[in-house]
Amino acid sequence: MSSTKSLRILVVEDEILIALELESLLQDAGHAVVGIAASFREAVESGSQLKPDLAFVDIHLADGPTGVDVARRLNALGVTVLFMTANAKRIPEDYAGALGVISKPYTERGVRQALDYAMQGESGPGRPKDSMTFIPFEVHARGESPRPA
Amino acid sequence: MSDVIRAADQWVEPRSADDLGDPFKSAFRTTRMAMVMTDPRQHDNPIILVNDAFSQLTGYGRDEVIGRNCRFLQGPETSAPTVDELRASLAAGEGSEVEILNYRKDGSPFWNALVISPVRDAGGQVVHFFASQSDISEKKRIEFELLRANDVLEEQVSRRTRDFQIALDQKTALLHEVDHRVKNSLQVISSLVLLNARRAKDEAAQRVLYNLAERVGALSTAHRLLYPVGDVSRFDLGEFMSDLVGELITLVPKGRVDVNLAVEPVAVAAAKAAPLALLANELIGNALKHAYPAPRRGTLSVAVTKLGTALRIVIEDDGVGLAGGALPDHGFGKILIDMLVRQLKARLEWEDARPGTRAVIVMPLDTEEAQF
Repeated sequence: MSSTKSLRILVVEDEILIALELESLLQDAGHAVVGIAASFREAVESGSQLKPDLAFVDIHLADGPTGVDVARRLNALGVTVLFMTANAKRIPEDYAGALGVISKPYTERGVRQALDYAMQGESGPGRPKDSMTFIPFEVHARGESPRPA
Repeated sequence: MSDVIRAADQWVEPRSADDLGDPFKSAFRTTRMAMVMTDPRQHDNPIILVNDAFSQLTGYGRDEVIGRNCRFLQGPETSAPTVDELRASLAAGEGSEVEILNYRKDGSPFWNALVISPVRDAGGQVVHFFASQSDISEKKRIEFELLRANDVLEEQVSRRTRDFQIALDQKTALLHEVDHRVKNSLQVISSLVLLNARRAKDEAAQRVLYNLAERVGALSTAHRLLYPVGDVSRFDLGEFMSDLVGELITLVPKGRVDVNLAVEPVAVAAAKAAPLALLANELIGNALKHAYPAPRRGTLSVAVTKLGTALRIVIEDDGVGLAGGALPDHGFGKILIDMLVRQLKARLEWEDARPGTRAVIVMPLDTEEAQF
């Protein structure tokens, strides 16, 4: 993903207020939210139909803690995944193919850092180090495996 | 016993009890220790001599045992490895000491402390084995009971440890669940306020809502640091300050204000996290919003230090200063600061930093907090 491009983003979040606010935030940052999904089925359908560049995925959805499986399916469809959760302990050892996690309650700064990280890809120089709300996984890129705090 | 063996050493090849020399014979016969003597040079190492104590212990008369190998004392529960051990030492011509389960003539078992010594001739050849038996059933019974009691205790300890572990796991899971729900609720509140702010037409209402969102944000930042793995009763104020300053600096255009952070890790009681977070948010937010009207640039310094039993927080800007209106207005921010300072039993001083304003908070630490 190039850093100048406007991204097409899928928000997978069952709490509508959070989803809508995140949509505003992402729009302010110059991106387009192409869909909002509240469950595993909706997320996978939206993922395959809308072909978003990026998905923000909560772990706990309307049908239970299905966000991890959503991440795997979306990742298999070629969608870059960022977790967005208040319960990072649920994230499996292999990160389910996700690029990083934004801890809830998130801040605008955390979301922006996550976006920057996703857009610069894995080769970019300015990886966020000081953020508490966004933690990149780095597992695919460098073979390290830092666990989210 | 050793006297007996020495006596036996001097003794010339008895083939039966009748061949025994007199002093030894009477000692052997009358001792209360059950004893037998065998002849390993005869086929199957038969008993050639027993005393009355042996007959009393085992119930076998003298005539019933002379000429037989001692193994008739063994029975169904006798330990096979112990028998093997005995057989091996006899074959090697060595003495041995074992505790073995034997059986009386009436079939009743008893624990036998068996001591066997070889008797050698002048040439070193083993000519007899000399064995003493004593009933140690009572001692064994106590030993077994202790072992059983020990097993029972160990079982109880491991069961209780398991119960405690389960209770602890449940408690930890519950804490994580509650923590997760609180974070989600904070997120919903924050999103709700921000959504409302974005849609507010009135500029004053919008400002109020954004201020509220910042306050919720400060509480959220505190909450994120509240339940790390480990101690749930402490809160690292130094770490919180670093995070909060990182969040709030985004309120001013990039490059306008530099930050100079000097924070020590200070653990305060978790109950003080929320008021400290809100207070720091007001003071730092206030400095960032009012001390640097464009195009003024500068440096905001935030320091957290522990002075004995007190905590000192200094927030200093080099902006327009007290006269320039950097002091919080008479609005809600001012009221909030006063309330929080009172709640924390702290003292807040405003100083003229020439240029700029310095806010100094001194808060007493409790005994536990002071240790960290």
